[in-house]
Amino acid sequence: MSTAFTARVDAALADRTLKIAIDRTTGTARSKRAAAVAAWPHFQQARALGRDIKAHVTANLAHYLAEFERNAIASGAQVHWARNAEEACEIVIGLCRQAGARSVTRAKSMLGEEIGLPHALAEAGIERVETDLAEHIVQLAGDTPSHIVWPALHKTREQVGELFRANHADPGALASVEAMVGSARRQLRAKFMAADVGISGANFLIADTGAICTVTNEGNAELTTTPPRVHIVTAGIEKLVPSLSHAMSLLRLLVRSATGAELTQYTTFHCGPKRAGDADGPQAFHIVLVDNGRSKMLTDGLAEMLSCLRCGACLNHCVVYRHIGGHAYGGTYPGPMGSVLTPVLDGLETSNDLPKACTLNGQCQEVCPVMIPLPTLLRGWRDRSWREGLEPATVRGAVWAWRLMVMRPGLYRLATRIAVPMMRLFARRGWIAAMPLAGGWTRHRDFPAPARQTFMDQIRQQRGQS
Amino acid sequence: MTDARSAIFAAIATPSRPPADIARAASALLARVPALRPDRVGDDVAAAFFARVTGPAIGASGAKVASLSDVPGAVGAYLAAHDLAARVAVQPHPALLDLPWRDIVAHRDIAVDEPVAIGIADYAVAETGSLVFRSGAHTPTLFAFLPLHHIVVVRADGVMAWLEDCAAAESRLPAPRNLNLVTGASGTTDIEGALVRGAHGPGYLHVILVQSPL
Amino acid sequence: MVAIVGQTKNIALSARGRKNVSVTSIDTPRVGLFVTCLVDAMRPRIGFAAIALLEAAGCVVDIPQRQTCCGQPALNSGDHDGTVAIAQQTIALLEGYDHVVIPSGSCAATICGHYPELFPVGSPWYERASALAGKTFELISYLADIRHWSPDRVALAAHATYHDSCSGLRELGIKAQPRRLLAGVAGLSITEMEGAETCCGFGGTFCVKYPSISNAIVDEKASHVTASGAGLLLGGDLGCLMNMAGKLHRSGSPVRAFHAAEVLAGMADGPAIGEEP
Repeated sequence: MSTAFTARVDAALADRTLKIAIDRTTGTARSKRAAAVAAWPHFQQARALGRDIKAHVTANLAHYLAEFERNAIASGAQVHWARNAEEACEIVIGLCRQAGARSVTRAKSMLGEEIGLPHALAEAGIERVETDLAEHIVQLAGDTPSHIVWPALHKTREQVGELFRANHADPGALASVEAMVGSARRQLRAKFMAADVGISGANFLIADTGAICTVTNEGNAELTTTPPRVHIVTAGIEKLVPSLSHAMSLLRLLVRSATGAELTQYTTFHCGPKRAGDADGPQAFHIVLVDNGRSKMLTDGLAEMLSCLRCGACLNHCVVYRHIGGHAYGGTYPGPMGSVLTPVLDGLETSNDLPKACTLNGQCQEVCPVMIPLPTLLRGWRDRSWREGLEPATVRGAVWAWRLMVMRPGLYRLATRIAVPMMRLFARRGWIAAMPLAGGWTRHRDFPAPARQTFMDQIRQQRGQS
Repeated sequence: MTDARSAIFAAIATPSRPPADIARAASALLARVPALRPDRVGDDVAAAFFARVTGPAIGASGAKVASLSDVPGAVGAYLAAHDLAARVAVQPHPALLDLPWRDIVAHRDIAVDEPVAIGIADYAVAETGSLVFRSGAHTPTLFAFLPLHHIVVVRADGVMAWLEDCAAAESRLPAPRNLNLVTGASGTTDIEGALVRGAHGPGYLHVILVQSPL
Repeated sequence: MVAIVGQTKNIALSARGRKNVSVTSIDTPRVGLFVTCLVDAMRPRIGFAAIALLEAAGCVVDIPQRQTCCGQPALNSGDHDGTVAIAQQTIALLEGYDHVVIPSGSCAATICGHYPELFPVGSPWYERASALAGKTFELISYLADIRHWSPDRVALAAHATYHDSCSGLRELGIKAQPRRLLAGVAGLSITEMEGAETCCGFGGTFCVKYPSISNAIVDEKASHVTASGAGLLLGGDLGCLMNMAGKLHRSGSPVRAFHAAEVLAGMADGPAIGEEP
């Protein structure tokens, strides 16, 4: 276990406010999702369909990418390709410079976070205005998102109030969450209209029209993408769907799984730049298609992860996430889906705690709207970590010694016959409060003393078997 | 750039299948949809839409009027009920501009902080209670996002049952720059999961369902 | 002496659990009891409860003497080769029985779900692993679904809550069976706790590799157990029970923990987990 991970975990666990903040938002999300699922008798069949739609796209990815590109270009969009984060940022910054942009508005996109776009814009000296309320909070705090749907989930209302008081031009009294939302509305209104470039992500890329889909509840995506002269979309190459109809099936699953609503308030399909005669819209529409490890996932046994809709249900239901929060994971994406993706993006060497810091309880897979077998994928990383020698020598040694005995039943019997009475030496009234080599357990809980004799010894005596 | 494109396609290297086979597989997936949709529409799709959009989950307010000429009256009643000045931005759509607005001051331009705007949806979807706007000369996208109070007229005979009906309708038309599905007023749950309306878009959505054909 | 009736039944264990399993219906199956390494070393009473229950349900119970561990620690550590070796040993040990029964959802899920995945599809070991998987069962669901057994004249005046261990629940579909059988115990009432299906934070080696996270999880779990007002905590997996009981004891809670098999076998009048006889 790396000390960096442990330090982040310990800091998170020590933060009582964080747990309260996590519980408030994820608790609401879980109960609203449960109600939405309960109201849909065919939810399981719908999940299977969602899985199959995404699997179909993944199996024919080159076909759909080419079709999407063709149709996007026909709609007047300009399509760009980026192998990795650096190339993607370079393209976006280049487009901003070409547009003479001094200010860009951004609608929340996890891909933008993944490729480090906020940092790249800052380096290029371009003013970045985050328009999603949570991203706005995160930006004011100089922070990073801790959840893929609620990036500022780690902030309490009191903390948000302080940030707004210090940073907003006209914060008012900020006595309630309503007042805080109102203050952000006033603060960002003029910024929307003044931006030179608007940058968004995409929830879906519609292959047969070349349109991209954004979903928001605030309406910030359309206010980001409509007034500026240029709209730039950054999207992962896995976001494809064959048609608008296929997107509808996935939207039903995505929104219910994320927030428990039936559809986001604003679900928009953007197809090309402003048309002749259009009353508003950007003059230029750029789509940057980003690989950044995705094509490698196809061949690395992680193809199923390309189905991920980024709904956040696996985070909201993960016992580990609910205790340590998003920042402890140390990557762009936290929770179960993040523990699968971060080793792809950051390398297994620096992130191999993530697949292991999981109880494999399977709740993430149970709630995944497209049935991604997350525990299986996490096991895959554990296998790889073992194979590549990334496990500490102590762990390898312990498993090796244990395996040696398990594979020799006679020796195993002897070892348990010796170990059991030895353990009993540490017990008081049935419980062991501390014992060598058992600190991981006994630091936090008592260990029940074993019986005087193992089951196998007792049964042999009883049954007279040898 | 071309390098990146070819490198990505080379890395994907999915086996190439005849496009007709892929298309067949894609439509086979859609054939499964009708049997598994949440059954919440019924026979009277307009009534189902109205109930959904004004129900607790979406929370819009609504009024039903017999014909388009009743719209100014319904707007006036809304303005009075909310203590709003009799001044509205009217979406530059002939169906709205031609209405007798009388004592309501109707203007075509929408301000960044427009208190009230009235628009007309191209159609609606009963399943989700969504209003659908197709951007164009008569439909500026921003009309649905800048006002605080967003009043939307939609015809009862323009209500479709399912999201797939919306997709099918769109597949027969040239794609607009923006296809906006509006399902309630703007909202956010970004601070402690508490729902607050009017985050950036409208804080209030009022639907006027016109019963007779235009 | 083993009567084989020979007709094949399709038994749907649960909607979210295993696929339909074909099991040869046998009047008096010869059952190999795999007690698990934890029960062997820590709480043999569960093994004896299992024997009593299986015999009451008409089985001939055999205890394979060379049994050790199903290999879960290696499997969850990513030691693929080690897991394969242990799986082969275990398959060879158990494949001769009509049925194999295990008083643990997670060990049963290892054999039922993960053993076949260890081998190339169609290989001889894959076939052997799949055959074993098809006739291996977790104890409580075996009694309820395969043997159609229910408790008779078992009584326990107590108020309990039941924890659904994750592997049994999500990999084997064990949810209703323990509740159905426990409902047949006279005097026993069950109150569901908040988050009965939420992981207790045990996770095998997880609890010692990431003790602080595990502690945070089990701490919350223990508070839900306590809040249920039940005096007994029941479950079907000793690992989870030891984790929760250990936390409850450390925090001074009087809640006592038993494996459901002990209750069903009428053995809950004895010492609970962590109590001296």
